[in-house]
Amino acid sequence: MATIAIPKRVGYERPAVLDWLTTVDHKKLGILYLYFTMFFFAVGGILALLVRTQLAVADNNFVSNSMYNQIFTMHASAMLFLFIIPVWAGFGNYIVPLQIGAADMAFPRINALSFWLLPPAGLLMFSGFLVNGGAASAGWTAYSPLARTLGPGMDVWIIAVILLGVSSTIGAANFLVTMLRMRAPGMTMFRMPIFCWTIFVTALLQLLATPVLAAALAMLFIDRNFGGSFFDPNGGGNAVLWQNVFWFYSHPAVYIMILPGMGIVSEILPVFSRKPLFGYKAFVFATLGIGGLGFSVWAHHMFTTGAVLKPFFGFMTFMIGVPTGVKIFNWLATLWRGSITFEPPMLFALGFVSMFLIGGINGTFSAAVPVDFAIHDTYFIVAHIHYVLFGGSVFAVFGGLYYWFPKIWGRRLNDKLGTIQFFLMLVGFNMTFFPMHLLGLTGMPRRIATYPDVRNWELLNGISSAGAFLIAISMIPFLIAVVAAFMRPKDQPNDPWQANTLEWATTSPPPVHNFDEVPEVHSERPLFDLRHGTTARH
Amino acid sequence: MLRCAATVGEAEGEVTLMRNAARRVSLRAAFVLLLVGSLALISTSVAFAQASGQPGGVTAEARDLHKLYLLVLTMALVVFVLVEGALAFMIFRYRRRDDTLPPQTHGNNLLEVVWTTIPIVIVLVLFVFSFITLVNVENDSKPQTLTVDVQGFQWQWAFTYNENDLGPGSDPNAKGTFTITGTAAKEPTLVIPVDEPVEFRLKSTDVIHAFYVPEFLYKLDVIPGRDNRFTVTPTKIGTYTGQCAELCGLNHTLMRFTLQVVSRADFDKFITDQLAAANKSAQRP
Ligand SMILES: [Cu+2]
Repeated sequence: MATIAIPKRVGYERPAVLDWLTTVDHKKLGILYLYFTMFFFAVGGILALLVRTQLAVADNNFVSNSMYNQIFTMHASAMLFLFIIPVWAGFGNYIVPLQIGAADMAFPRINALSFWLLPPAGLLMFSGFLVNGGAASAGWTAYSPLARTLGPGMDVWIIAVILLGVSSTIGAANFLVTMLRMRAPGMTMFRMPIFCWTIFVTALLQLLATPVLAAALAMLFIDRNFGGSFFDPNGGGNAVLWQNVFWFYSHPAVYIMILPGMGIVSEILPVFSRKPLFGYKAFVFATLGIGGLGFSVWAHHMFTTGAVLKPFFGFMTFMIGVPTGVKIFNWLATLWRGSITFEPPMLFALGFVSMFLIGGINGTFSAAVPVDFAIHDTYFIVAHIHYVLFGGSVFAVFGGLYYWFPKIWGRRLNDKLGTIQFFLMLVGFNMTFFPMHLLGLTGMPRRIATYPDVRNWELLNGISSAGAFLIAISMIPFLIAVVAAFMRPKDQPNDPWQANTLEWATTSPPPVHNFDEVPEVHSERPLFDLRHGTTARH
Repeated sequence: MLRCAATVGEAEGEVTLMRNAARRVSLRAAFVLLLVGSLALISTSVAFAQASGQPGGVTAEARDLHKLYLLVLTMALVVFVLVEGALAFMIFRYRRRDDTLPPQTHGNNLLEVVWTTIPIVIVLVLFVFSFITLVNVENDSKPQTLTVDVQGFQWQWAFTYNENDLGPGSDPNAKGTFTITGTAAKEPTLVIPVDEPVEFRLKSTDVIHAFYVPEFLYKLDVIPGRDNRFTVTPTKIGTYTGQCAELCGLNHTLMRFTLQVVSRADFDKFITDQLAAANKSAQRP
C-alpha cells in the first residue's frame, strides 16, 4: 500500500486567540478548564475572606445581613459549581485521553461545548450582584420555600446552575464513551489507571444525578416566575419536596467532588513510594460502592425535618464509611515498605489522606441520627464539609497541579516553594476549620451574620479567621512558582517522576496528536513495565 | 580529564547526600511537630468542648444523646489516632534511603476482607446504639403533657400557651390563652417548668425555620404545611438562648429568643400574670 504524503497546509495558522477560542483539542480545553476554575477558586476564596472578616469578632458589622447572605451563598456556589466540579473535568480532559492512550476525547466538539457553557454560566451567576436585591442569598442549597421569595438574583443563579448542569451532563457522557471505546490495545477496563476509574464513576454519577437537579431547578423557576407551587404548601405543594430532589442530586455531588481527588492521590502515592497501588481492584470496587451507596444517603441532610425515615438513612450513611475506610487502608498499605520521597505532589497527597480521614470521621457524627439533631446546621457541619472538600479535594487539586504541571506545561514547579505552600496551607487549613468543630458543639448555628461572645465563640472565630488569611498567604509561593516556571524554557523530559501511566510515555507537553507510538499495555502500569520489564499480575 | 570529572561528580554527590540528609532531618522535625501539635490540639479541644457551656445538655433526652455523642467521639478518636499514627509511621519508616526498588506487593485479599470487616463492625455497633438512643429521645408525649405552640415567622418567634393544656391538672374547659410575640427590637422569652415533659408544636406559614436550643442538644425544623412536634423534659433551672437554625432570609441572624426553665410555682405565677394581662387587654374597648 502506498503511503500518501499529506502536504502541509500553508496559510492555515490562525491567530493564537482565535485558536484558543475555537479549539477542540482536549489538551487545550483541559488547560482552559484549569484557568477558568482556578480563577473562580480565587473569586470564591476572596468571598470566603469576606465571610471570615465579618465573623472575626463578635457582633461585627463589616457587611450587612443582606450582603452576608449573598456572600456565603456565592462563596459556596463558586467553589462547588465553578471550581471543584469543573476542575475535575479539566484534569479529566487533559489526562484521561493521555492515560488511556487515545488521541482525543470521543466527541471533541461536544467537549468544547461543555467548556464554553461555563463562562456564560459564571458571568450569569455573578451578575446577580448587579440586579435589584443582590445575588442569590438562599445558600447554595437554595432551600424552598425561601428561594421562592427572593429577588431576581435567584433567577440568574438558577439559570446558571442549569447551564453548568448541562455542561457536566454532556461532559460526563463524553468521558464515559471515551473510556469505554477508545482505550489503547491491551488496556482492559481493569488495567485502566485509577484516576480514569474515578473519573468514570464520577461521570456515571453526573449522568444519573444532574438531570434530577436540572428538573428541581426548573420546578423552582416555574414556582418563582409562572405561578407554580411545587414547593409552596399554601398552593398545595410540599416544602420538603425541594430538599428531597435537591439532595438526591447534591449528595452524589459530594462524591462527584471528591472521587477524582481520590483518583489523583491514588496516582501520586504509588509513584512517590515506588510501589503499585495496593489492592487496585478493591479500590475500583470501593469507588463503585461509594458511587452506588451515594444514591441512598441523601436524606441524612434532612434528619431534622422529621420527614424522612431516619434509621434507614442513618444506617446507609454509616455504611458508606466502609468503602471509604477500605480506600484509606489501601493507601496506607501502598506506603507500607515503600521507598518514599516528599516532593510537593506527594506532600499534598499525604495531606489529603490525613485531612480527608478527619472529614470521614467527623461525618460519622451525622450518621448517628440523635447526634445529628445536635450538630445539624451548626459549624460542626461546616467543619465537616471543609475537611472533605478542602482537606480532601483542594489538597488533591494542588497535588495534581504539581504532579502534572511538567506534563501539561513542560516545566516543573519549584519544589521548595511547593513545600512552603503545603505547610502554610496545612496549618492555615487546620486553624480555619478545626475550631469550627468546637463552635458547632457549643451551639453556633451556621449562616448567621453576627454572634454574641459566649462560650469563647469570639476566640474560636478569631483563630478561624486568622487561619483563613494564612491559607490566602499560602497561595503566594504557589503563584511565584507558577510565574517562575513560565519564565523558564520547557525543559521537562517525558517522565520526570518515574511514573507508571501512559501520559508519561509522550513528550512534555504532548504533540497535538498525543502519541507518536503508544506502548503496549500489559498491566495497569505500562511505563513501570517498560522500565523494569513486565511484572504484571493484573 | 575523565578522572577529574569523576571526582567532581563524587564531590557533588556527597554534597547532594548531605543536603538530602539535612532535608530529611528538617522534614522529620516538621512531621514530628505536626503530629505532636495535632495530638495536643485534639486533646485540649476535647477538654475545651467539655468545659464550655452545658456539654451534657439540660434535658433528660439530652443526657441520653450526650452519652451517644461520647461513644461516637471515643470511636472517632481511636480510629483517628490509629490511622494517623500508621500514616506517620509509614512516612518515617519508609523514607527513600537508596535506589533499590521496594517489593512490588499488589494486594492481599485476606487483608482486604479484614479491613472491610473492621469498619463494618464499628459502624454496626454505632448504628445499634444510635438506633436505641433515637427511640429513647423520640418517645411520644402523653396526652396530658404541657404544650407550647411555637410559631416561626420572618424573623421572630411567637409562643402561645393555652390554659387547658398546661400539664397535668389543667382544666380541659378553660378558654384562656396568650401569646408572647418577639419583635426585631425585643427578643421573646419562653418560659417552661422544670422536671416536666413539655411538648413543642412547631408551625410556620412563610418559610422553613428550625427551633434550636443548644442546651437541648436538639433541633427540629419548623416547616410550613407540616405538623412537627417534639417533647423534652428539662432537668435544670436556668436561662438559655435559643435561635433559628435554618437559613430563613434577610434577618435570620436575629431570630433569637430566651428560654427560662423555672420551678412549677414560678411557672404557675407566670401563667397567672400573663392570663391576667391578656384578659385586661381583651376587656379594653
Ligand atoms: Cu428562621
